[in-house]
Amino acid sequence: MGTAVIDARDLTKVYDGAGAETVALRGVTLRIDEGEYAAIMGPSGSGKSTLMHILGCLDTPTEGAYLLSGRDVAELDDYELAELRRTTVGFVFQAFNLLPRSTVMRNVIMPMLYTRVSHDERDDRAAAALRAVSLEEKLWTHRSNELSGGQMQRVAIARSLVNDPSLVLADEPTGNLDTATGDSVMDLFARLNAEGRTIVLITHEPDIATRTRRVVRITDGRIVEDAATADADIRQYGNGDAADSSVAPRVGGA
Amino acid sequence: MRFSDLISETLHSLTANKVRSSLTILGIVVGIASVIAMVAIGQGSQASIEQSIQAAGSNVLTVMPSAGGQSGPGVRMGAGSVESLTREDAEALAGLSLVTGVAPSSQGQGQLVAADANANAQLLGVTADYAKVSGLTVASGSFITGRDDEKNAQVVVLGATLAEDLFGESVDPVGKRIRSGNMLLTVVGVLKEKGTSGFTNVDSAAILPLSTCSRYVTGSEYLSSITLTIADEEQMDAAENSVSGLLLQRHGIANADYADFSIQNMADMLKTVSDVTGTFTTLLAGIAGISLLVGGIGIMNMMLTTVTERTREIGLRKAIGADSSAISAQFLAESVTLTLIGGALGILTGWGIGVLAASLLGASAIVTLDSVLLAVGVCAFIGIVFGYYPARRAASLSPIEALRYQ
Repeated sequence: MGTAVIDARDLTKVYDGAGAETVALRGVTLRIDEGEYAAIMGPSGSGKSTLMHILGCLDTPTEGAYLLSGRDVAELDDYELAELRRTTVGFVFQAFNLLPRSTVMRNVIMPMLYTRVSHDERDDRAAAALRAVSLEEKLWTHRSNELSGGQMQRVAIARSLVNDPSLVLADEPTGNLDTATGDSVMDLFARLNAEGRTIVLITHEPDIATRTRRVVRITDGRIVEDAATADADIRQYGNGDAADSSVAPRVGGA
Repeated sequence: MRFSDLISETLHSLTANKVRSSLTILGIVVGIASVIAMVAIGQGSQASIEQSIQAAGSNVLTVMPSAGGQSGPGVRMGAGSVESLTREDAEALAGLSLVTGVAPSSQGQGQLVAADANANAQLLGVTADYAKVSGLTVASGSFITGRDDEKNAQVVVLGATLAEDLFGESVDPVGKRIRSGNMLLTVVGVLKEKGTSGFTNVDSAAILPLSTCSRYVTGSEYLSSITLTIADEEQMDAAENSVSGLLLQRHGIANADYADFSIQNMADMLKTVSDVTGTFTTLLAGIAGISLLVGGIGIMNMMLTTVTERTREIGLRKAIGADSSAISAQFLAESVTLTLIGGALGILTGWGIGVLAASLLGASAIVTLDSVLLAVGVCAFIGIVFGYYPARRAASLSPIEALRYQ
């Protein structure tokens, strides 16, 4: 095993609703190492979004410990959490979340506004990230709302890469894209992973999950399966032609 | 976040909503402009009122006859309603050390008839010193002389307006004759225009030798006032005391409460008027300040709308690593920028309005550094105070909730 990027131990998350408590996570233990390419799958309401928020340091667990790149998030205050998100995590969202009136460059530069990176280096890094996602240079000065969905998601991925994060977290990255465009985005993720990026996708689409190397299935706040993609049972979300599973759920590590 | 980035982000988001930003700025412009204009007009009129009092001379004491016994029984009679001051009083006052000039005068009203026109005018009986004490200069001819006074000469010096009324603009009235009652007056001089000064408008008065006035106009040897100039403005109060003491003594009155004269001190008068106009200016500025407050609320409203509208953007910025202080700095910078732009335009507009209004009213507008600094200070204050709450609200949004916001 390599260095752990994600090291979550027995995570519990309880939301205090009006009078009623909602338990979103019931003891999730998950370790993802550097260079891994994993999909977290689960139906809606399974707690996968909550898990992603905690993994991305947008939220903190009620109980349990979470170490991101070796740092225990429970010990960090708001400012340190923001710094951790800035330096360690790159987010890719289903809805892209670009600033529509800003240019592609400006969008990609945005995460670096909150760092001490110099203006020149900022431009260089943005250009490098945009090349890494294969976005044509003539589009760089376009406003982001002039782009197609696939192009927007490439910009969003470039944005997630500029601060050189140890983890790229993608929440349903192909959810708003047609199949062909989604495929090309998945090709991009595969390439980034081949270059050594640690990537975690959240998805409910088996087609997407099968293209990763490891599948973590979560239901009712618990991990019900954690296996290499070839071995995973992803039938129940798919067309039924996925690999037949005789593998018992293996919880708590690959 | 770097300061240059903060500025660039701020301008970017303000220009993204040009109409809304300009309307918000307009609110501040109106507020600041009205404060600046009101204060400018107020201070301008204050200055011109003070100027007209100072034109009469702020080192001037005026002694007038008045009924004694303020606390006594009977009818309290006003200034000028009794006869108590004489030429001898005036001559005695001239001997006081602080007094540099004495001008006794009597006053009446009369119909003046010239060749082609007539006018009802104030008739002032004066001595030769009156011109110096009251700061009058002659445009043509000469002023009343001591000799005129001794001889009850039937001569007259006309105020500028009165001369014009009686003889027209192009004619030099010196040497012409005017009839008034039993007198046939020869015009010996015309005064330069002076404007209203103190209580009398000499521009529309006719000035006679004191003795002539006493005999033919008032029919009395008593004076209607004695005007005194004092060497040093700082010593007005001391001078007033010695004048009062001497007159009480001469009139044989032991208790100052029963004095048969009253003394008006121009310095006191000036102060009173300044106080009144100052209050007036403050009142105007206060009313204008209300519109400034409304402008501030406009900013707050816009910023709160912006926060709501940009909730997702805030969530995104937080997710990619902006901390709360960076978010609040951004929103605060936006509101401060709006107020500063509005403030700058407001100062210019207010200045313009002040000058324009003042020229329409015939007064002057004075924009002081104080009022500009005040406006700038208030602007910055508004930007920060009314921007702080929306900024805090934006910063305190949870990134998850914010991202989910539709």
